[in-house]
Amino acid sequence: MLSKLKTNAAVDVSSRVNNLLSFIGCFARPKTIVIVLAALSGSIAQAKEPNIFSTSQDFQLHGFISQGLIDVNGSDFVNDDGELSAELTEIGLNASYQLTSKFRLAGQVVYLDGGNRYAQGARVDYALIDWSAITTENWQANIYLGRFKNNHWLYSSSRDIPFARPSIILPQSVYFDGFRDIAVGSDGIASKISYSTDDYGNFDWQISYGTSPISDEQTTNILSDYAQGDAEQDYDAQTSLYWQPAFSSWRFGISLLDAGFTYDSAGVSNGDFFFDSDFTFQFYTLNALYEGETWEFSGEVYQQRFTMDGFYHPTFELDNIGQGFYLQSRYKITQQLTLLARYEDFYLDKEDKDGKKLEQSTGGQVPYYFGFHKDVTLGLNYDFTSNFALRAEYHWVRGAGRLTPVVAPNPGINDSEDWQMWAVQLMYWF
Amino acid sequence: MFFRLLQDTLIKLYPLVITLMLACLVIPQAVAIEVITHHQVTDDSLTKSQLRRIYTMRQLYWSDNSAISVFVLPNQDKLHQRFAKERLQIFPYQLNRIWHKLTYSGLGVAPTIVRSEQELIQAVIKTPGAIGYIDDATLSKIEHEQYENVAMVRVVSQETHAIEKEQKGSRKGVVNVVKIKD
Repeated sequence: MLSKLKTNAAVDVSSRVNNLLSFIGCFARPKTIVIVLAALSGSIAQAKEPNIFSTSQDFQLHGFISQGLIDVNGSDFVNDDGELSAELTEIGLNASYQLTSKFRLAGQVVYLDGGNRYAQGARVDYALIDWSAITTENWQANIYLGRFKNNHWLYSSSRDIPFARPSIILPQSVYFDGFRDIAVGSDGIASKISYSTDDYGNFDWQISYGTSPISDEQTTNILSDYAQGDAEQDYDAQTSLYWQPAFSSWRFGISLLDAGFTYDSAGVSNGDFFFDSDFTFQFYTLNALYEGETWEFSGEVYQQRFTMDGFYHPTFELDNIGQGFYLQSRYKITQQLTLLARYEDFYLDKEDKDGKKLEQSTGGQVPYYFGFHKDVTLGLNYDFTSNFALRAEYHWVRGAGRLTPVVAPNPGINDSEDWQMWAVQLMYWF
Repeated sequence: MFFRLLQDTLIKLYPLVITLMLACLVIPQAVAIEVITHHQVTDDSLTKSQLRRIYTMRQLYWSDNSAISVFVLPNQDKLHQRFAKERLQIFPYQLNRIWHKLTYSGLGVAPTIVRSEQELIQAVIKTPGAIGYIDDATLSKIEHEQYENVAMVRVVSQETHAIEKEQKGSRKGVVNVVKIKD
């Protein structure tokens, strides 16, 4: 099958439609990945008709399929029993259709299986109409309407694209899988304004406003099984600015986020442990990226403010400021092989970096190590071809601050401060 | 004294010097990469920055407001790697990242990837507004090869490759070679 996979994708429309059919099959039976892979590579191999480039320019179909193994020891990050797991499946298919010179339709569906990390199943990643309002030699302005992806953080738009992100598991303090479906995008309006000059380089300014639907499974992941009511996001406003100096290997960025949520309790009589409540979340990041021929460095520094009004008790109030950073380095040994090293350090309350106050305030029910999350990661990536790669990594984690459920931690399973995980993932994209 | 020393050194290194001189004759120089466009594209020269903007999808239209269709070879193709480094002064993996972000986040459209240099030439011939790149040697070969759909290859702005030759074929196909300015 490897040799079939190596057959590079012909970009004609007929093969893409074949691929689409393969993927529809895979959504119907998401577990039959091997069959789908065979069908996919088969359909690509069949594509021998002449290419119709003008058509493929207006209509484009792309996708990816990946499967991995993950083993976590000492936490419920992926599963509760700590066994080796194949719950590391990511499949996606997207299409882009240029309606007119100014308007474009684009959409992507993804199927994800990550165990406890996020809800298993298919979802619409984005579905939008893209209006190219301004297109000159130096300026580009686009307005996106519909469901758009969060494009504000260093890896927010590629977090669920296996080969486009730097590691299998991203720094959880920023790219927390428990918040994935809320943070990955919104339904609303977004804009991107790009200015490219020879003297000052490239500027990209983005602004977005919308909301994300919160599923019952997501509610459970964040608020635990004891939450029987409905959680809703009221608004999500974000902006970011990126600057890459002219012909520079560096790029710098800043982002701001403000979001509000409400929880409508199902009531004590219906078995709901929690009360009506309002939550707000603010998140500010600074980031830098250096891309050299063999070395690459990137990092993000961030501060978050989380407030709660109600929930545990009608008069309960919380106002926490959390802080963190990660530094990442990649080294390309050869054209195919890249090594990765990363250090991440995050605490939920800057007044309680070691979590002692958390433990005291909960009468010892929530251990101190739920107040922080530190992760040392080593990994490698091997590109077999231009669109087939293998990735492997090991994480040494200290702390349980980024495990689900968030508001009702589970110290029964997560009974140790230190835990480790390794993962391998094969990925193919076209 | 100095010249004497130089002379002695040269005599000592004589076999090496001769070998190197011969090698220069035998080993072909690294072939240049030419940027080609569809024959209707009126821009016959581009600056390095413009070329880079076009390939990083920051400039989507030609000067006459017609849309640019960008074609590339696969990431691991040697010619693509050289084109990225020599012509765009950007590492191939950086290009890949920019394109992946556009393609898989819905933000925009990335270049069309074709499998071979020949397919790339065909694409540029057939697609209005197309831009691509080609090995210098291949450009010369076009003159001799029988491309079914290539009727004529007209080279502008490059006196050294001023080939203008009718070939067999039912349709007219023309590419421009674009001059890249600093």
